Amino acid sequence: MADLDLFAWWAISISGGSVFLTLVSIYLYADTRKKRKTREEAKTGLGRLIKNFAFVWVLLGLLMFYIVSIDLRSVAVFAAGNIIVEALLIAYLIRNKTKTE
Amino acid sequence: MIALSVILGFYNEYKAEKIVENLRQDVSIKAVVVRDGKTSQIDSKLLVPGDLVSVYVGDIAPADMRLVRTKDLQTDESTFTGESFPVEKSTAPISLQHPMPQQLKNYLFMGTVVVHGSGQGVVVSTGKNTELGGISRSLVRSHPETEFQRGIRKYGTMLMTLTLALTIGIFSLNYAIGHYWLDSLLFSLAVAVGLVPELMPAIVTISLAQGAGRMAKVKVVVKRLVSIEDFGNMDVLCTDKTGTLTEGKITLNDCRSLGDEEDGRILIYSLLCNSAVAGDKIVGNPMDAAIWEYAIRNRVQGEVKLYAKIDEVPFDYQRRIMSAAVKRDGETILISKGAPESILARCSYARIDGETRPLSSVLEAINTKFSSLSQLGYRILAVAFRSIEVKDTYSVKDETDLTLLGFLTFTDPPKKDAHRAVAQLKEMGVDVKILTGDNEVVAKTICEELKVPVKKVICGPDLTQMSWNQVKKTVEETTIFARITPEQKLDIIKALKANGHVVGFMGDGVNDAPALYEADVGLSVDTAVDVAKEAADIVLLEKNLLVLAAGINEGRKIFGNTIKYILMGTSSNFGNMFSAAAASIFLPFLPMLPMQILFMNLLYDVANMTLPTDNVDEENIKWPKRWDIGFVRKYTLFFGPFSSLYDFLTFGIMLFIFGASAATPAAASLFQSGWFVESFWTEVLVIFVIRTRRIPFWTSRPGKWLLLLTISCVAFGTILPFTVLGGILGFTALPAEYWVLLILMVVTYLFLVDAGKVFFYKICKF
Repeated sequence: MADLDLFAWWAISISGGSVFLTLVSIYLYADTRKKRKTREEAKTGLGRLIKNFAFVWVLLGLLMFYIVSIDLRSVAVFAAGNIIVEALLIAYLIRNKTKTE
Repeated sequence: MIALSVILGFYNEYKAEKIVENLRQDVSIKAVVVRDGKTSQIDSKLLVPGDLVSVYVGDIAPADMRLVRTKDLQTDESTFTGESFPVEKSTAPISLQHPMPQQLKNYLFMGTVVVHGSGQGVVVSTGKNTELGGISRSLVRSHPETEFQRGIRKYGTMLMTLTLALTIGIFSLNYAIGHYWLDSLLFSLAVAVGLVPELMPAIVTISLAQGAGRMAKVKVVVKRLVSIEDFGNMDVLCTDKTGTLTEGKITLNDCRSLGDEEDGRILIYSLLCNSAVAGDKIVGNPMDAAIWEYAIRNRVQGEVKLYAKIDEVPFDYQRRIMSAAVKRDGETILISKGAPESILARCSYARIDGETRPLSSVLEAINTKFSSLSQLGYRILAVAFRSIEVKDTYSVKDETDLTLLGFLTFTDPPKKDAHRAVAQLKEMGVDVKILTGDNEVVAKTICEELKVPVKKVICGPDLTQMSWNQVKKTVEETTIFARITPEQKLDIIKALKANGHVVGFMGDGVNDAPALYEADVGLSVDTAVDVAKEAADIVLLEKNLLVLAAGINEGRKIFGNTIKYILMGTSSNFGNMFSAAAASIFLPFLPMLPMQILFMNLLYDVANMTLPTDNVDEENIKWPKRWDIGFVRKYTLFFGPFSSLYDFLTFGIMLFIFGASAATPAAASLFQSGWFVESFWTEVLVIFVIRTRRIPFWTSRPGKWLLLLTISCVAFGTILPFTVLGGILGFTALPAEYWVLLILMVVTYLFLVDAGKVFFYKICKF
């Protein structure tokens, strides 16, 4: 029971951290859009929103995965999941590679 | 760390000051003084008001004097007024209510140089009571806070508020949930220490000292280390014209006939009608000397030997011309040279296109030519001649019925590399503005030669009429500020600073000293007067202005590395300490012991010691950056939680996979060991992600020392729980499975932070 309490505390804490990070992202995004002057810059849409917040979806997905894998107490699930996420992240980073002169 | 910072800062500033000190010529100026009817030479320090002092060509005025006798006296007042051409002095009284120094033609000011003639004056004031002393006095105050210092102060305030709030919060919460008060206090204090970037003074000082060392290699002396960062962040460079952008030396630009033809006689005649003496060294009036230099440079002086000089009618300020009678092949010629208006008044003819024509028929064309040359910013002398009968002596009465031959145009040319230097500054995002005591036409000409795009020109008197708000608006739109006083230079810099710019000022004269002091970064050149060098933060020892770009790059690199440390400290540190605070609430033991937090902090600082040597991406130093505390705050808010999330994840692994949830010392030690290693790995390794904006982070190469020390520290932190020291600190050996999970988790963390950068830098510009 004590274990369960502790797990609940832990799940709340890690979820709280993720929610906080998501809220900060939304705040920063909204704050920037307010300052954007041109119509092109201010253009919005579901597709663009999904694309811009790609890392937030990854983050929330990761959170779910971490909570589940810890709840399962499974080292194998945790390790395998991490490897998949890493591959996804590498693909994302290469896709967004900085163009240098 | 603090002691190291202080020692490094003191040593480097002392060394730089010493170099500048050695540059000074310890010359004791002598003065020729008449006391009790006797003429003697004394040290100028011994002069008192009322002394009668004589000055000659080459003398530096030893005091402020009211002139009582002058003979063709001309002085170089460029250090005061920025005017590079000699000023004619006289004894005539002046009736002006509030005269500016440059209007006092019957005064000789201490520090100005006699370039022609001689004079005698009564000492009015000496030392600190002189005009020069007044300017020096205004410098005896502390340097105003630079943009970088302001940024550091704001950052310190932000950090202090954050630390204080977190410390009080952690202590109160821990105490409230029943932890022993002393443990709670020590834990909250350790968290506070973990948040403070105590290594920052050392990082900044090491960066600055290394930057100063590299700049010294290109003969740039950094007198005030803190100015280097502002040098890099500078987005406006105000510069004096004379002696900084220009050579500060009068040069004959061209000999122009009145028509399209070339007439070599203009130059030969002006060499014959010339008061300068060309021996090993050319001595005399600067304009006459410039004619000789031009002739020698173009190897045409030899023709002068074909003429024999018979007589000379010296220059005087009423006529403003001089004449010489010369003879060649049996023909005697009278040559006159001087102010165009004076020469024209004595001419009846003019040579145009190889023909001699009555002056009245071509006067309009001549006036047009004269005014177009004036508009180009040239100082002009006219040359005329006539055949004359042979006589023993000639006088002013012979200066009539002359034939105008052409004009000599003089200029103070830009330094050879000034054009390239200005172009480089433009490419680097630095706006160049000219602040000069000279007139607007001359300043405009220099800008054209240097290809500085001129948005607007404003003159000192117009600036005087403006309110402060108008001045602030005007300084943004204006490129050339002409005929301005030293006080106005100061106002312009203050206005630019108030508009949020990081302002540099480059000057070499006494009149530039207050502006050099006020600017965020004061730059002076090798030929500057001592007072300007003293007021400057940075002294360019060589004439090469291209070192400006090298210095700016250096400043930008240092700023880049300082910002890296700050962003690291306020994101990963903050994240770690925040999770420590949160965990202390729901865990049955402290998530990390105070001693463990402090030890991790020490190790982290060691890993960061080589940050000043790190490489900075090229794209990061292309444009000036500036302190933006809002950006630092956003960065902390965004990247801090990443670290916390992975801390929480480690808590989960330790508590639920490795069973460290029991309220026993063994479980506590396992938990603390696991978190220590994870926390240290993430905190240190994230530097490779944060140090660059590039995505993915591995496309930016870190400095070799940073890489080496960081990896060493991580290795040390990894083996620590297995060592005796680890045991003393309360750590325990970690299971093998943990290491597998740790590696996977940390790699994911680094990639996730990199992905966060894609989002963050898209919306937050810096």
